[in-house]
Amino acid sequence: MDEEYDCIVLGTGLKECILSGMLSVSGKKVLHVDRNKYYGGESASITPLQELFQKFGVKEPDEKEHGRGRDWNVDLVPKFLMANGLLVKLLIHTGVTRYLEFKSVEGSYVYKGGKIYKVPVDQKEALSSDLMGIFEKRRFRNFLIFVQDFQENDPKTWKDVDPQRMSAYQLYTKFGLDKNTQDFTGHALALYLNDDYVNEPAANLIRRIKLYSDSLARYGKSPYLYPLYGLGELPQGFARLSAIYGGTYMLNTPVDEIVFEGSSVVGIKSGGVVAKCKQVFCDPSYIKERVKKTGQVIRCICLLNHPIPNTRDALSTQIIIPQNQVNRKSDIYVSLVSNTHQVSAQGWFIAMVSSKVETSNPELEIKPGLDLLGSIKQKFVSISDYYEPIDDGKDSKLFISKSYDATSHFETTCLDVLDIYKRATGEEFDFSKIKLESEDV
Amino acid sequence: MANRAVPQRPNGQTPGKICQFKLVLLGESSVGKSSLVLRFVKGQFHEYQESTIGAAFLTQTIHLNDVAVKFEIWDTAGQERYHSLAPMYYRGAQAAIVVYDITNQDTFERAKNWVKELQRQATPGIVIALAGNKLDLNTMRSVQTDESQTYAYENGLLFMETSAKTSANVTEIFKAIAEKLPKNETTNTAGQGRRLVESEGANKSLSSCCK
Ligand SMILES: Nc1nc2c(ncn2[C@@H]2O[C@H](COP(=O)(O)OP(=O)(O)OP(=O)(O)O)[C@@H](O)[C@H]2O)c(=O)[nH]1
Ligand SMILES: [Mg+2]
Repeated sequence: MDEEYDCIVLGTGLKECILSGMLSVSGKKVLHVDRNKYYGGESASITPLQELFQKFGVKEPDEKEHGRGRDWNVDLVPKFLMANGLLVKLLIHTGVTRYLEFKSVEGSYVYKGGKIYKVPVDQKEALSSDLMGIFEKRRFRNFLIFVQDFQENDPKTWKDVDPQRMSAYQLYTKFGLDKNTQDFTGHALALYLNDDYVNEPAANLIRRIKLYSDSLARYGKSPYLYPLYGLGELPQGFARLSAIYGGTYMLNTPVDEIVFEGSSVVGIKSGGVVAKCKQVFCDPSYIKERVKKTGQVIRCICLLNHPIPNTRDALSTQIIIPQNQVNRKSDIYVSLVSNTHQVSAQGWFIAMVSSKVETSNPELEIKPGLDLLGSIKQKFVSISDYYEPIDDGKDSKLFISKSYDATSHFETTCLDVLDIYKRATGEEFDFSKIKLESEDV
Repeated sequence: MANRAVPQRPNGQTPGKICQFKLVLLGESSVGKSSLVLRFVKGQFHEYQESTIGAAFLTQTIHLNDVAVKFEIWDTAGQERYHSLAPMYYRGAQAAIVVYDITNQDTFERAKNWVKELQRQATPGIVIALAGNKLDLNTMRSVQTDESQTYAYENGLLFMETSAKTSANVTEIFKAIAEKLPKNETTNTAGQGRRLVESEGANKSLSSCCK
């Protein structure tokens, strides 16, 4: 450890592991340290089940009821992968996808007026859906055809829409979409967390709807994917990539201090020993004085012994509750995974209800989500602070990631990683540096 | 991860079975894990072996009568050095080779710990082989064959002394594992998920082979 490295990475959350992998692949000498004895930090999947109960200070579960503890892998931060999104691209281009197996999430639902509706996946479902009235369906269809045909680099496809100057709201108005359809489109298709987007250029909205439909086109049932054995597999996969390219891993290693000389980092100190380096990458928990709290996220893990009612017994699902529907400023997300993903014992389901905190009684805020679940066997509530770095690292050579946000997928996670990589190295990541041997698979 | 189905051969002859298995290597740093793989897969040996940069895993196939046994071989990539191996590494492994260096007693003690770890963490029914490597350095031996043999017997492990340098017993140990692996299982416990690939729609969904 008392050597000199190009980069030292602290924390093995998903963001840090992707960064570590990209840095090692780019030829940097990397030391990757975690204070915990397991991989994943905030993005770990907790196993066995006993660990989860201990973590939340709840009496240990009964093996007879909950099955073998080892069969459980419970995520702390709920998210799905968009099948055509950035994380899937990173997984494929780095070859990390070879370590993982995925399943499509079966259903995607949206909440309207106290009930949930399946988000239509094709024309047929759209026509038979109760989500909109018959005339609204026609207007919505015209809107979707416009989005589908729209090519950002071909103004001929823009009809008379200037995607940069027209706002999302103006685009909705142009197609005559009503408030409910706007909610549905902006939140269940474009996956916006709140309504700030309506005044932004329509181009962003169009891009996001395209991501949704391209993702849907990949595997059919829904645009979302989920890895077998839980999200904790993702950081482990990227850590292995880093190790294969020479990265050194040390878990269970407390970090006493990040060492500065003048305004820049020169290394880290652990157990009295200093490891020198040119740059440090870490999550906010490793240096509290250089981050600022900008919000809170509530996440409630619920163990169920049945699927979520009114979802056609889906073994995995996502339900989006658009903010307007429940008089909030940000959406509530409900996700469900189960034994089919090897994350729970036979007959068990793990639901997670999450949102950005807006009041001093966050548990009450997510009640509309909890009410959808039917009977809940066990509930674990956590409220985490959301941190952002106070500087961009260009002077300090300290690159801190943002906390995991309340969005339901990994797009913002990847954007943060790619942005940090670019700030730190001055260039975009070059995927051609990865040699995928052709001899296997 | 699971045993993968293979396409039927175009010419009407009865296709042989192909079974694929994940095999992981474990053992102290420098005992010769990467060297054993390199010898088995490529027939090479390097006096100054560097870790295999860029390889997710290597594959090699052995033929046993009418069955082709394809090994997907995972090397630790050095993550075991500071006890930082990820659970993903063992996940779904149907076989493991635990390696020690016959000239170094400590590596044998460490090997025993790996065996315990495997018995605790890995897939039940995993086939474990113990390899006492660097047999060519017999004159400097510090772990006696009897001792390892007895230990292996008591713990239900396959056991051989090997040399990646001279290739003694290298193919043999893989072959012994191949023979011991069950090749008629239709319900493999591995996930039945899909691996993601670039081109749309061309994703392979896995099903079990060996029918
Ligand atoms: N004499 C002799 N040397 C060997 C043999 N196998 C490996 N070596 C040498 O031992 C050293 C370590 O071998 P590796 O294959 O890198 O060992 P490893 O277990 O993969 O080590 P890590 O990757 O650090 O965990 C190299 O210098 C090899 O040349 C053997 O059978 N006989
Ligand atoms: Mg090696």
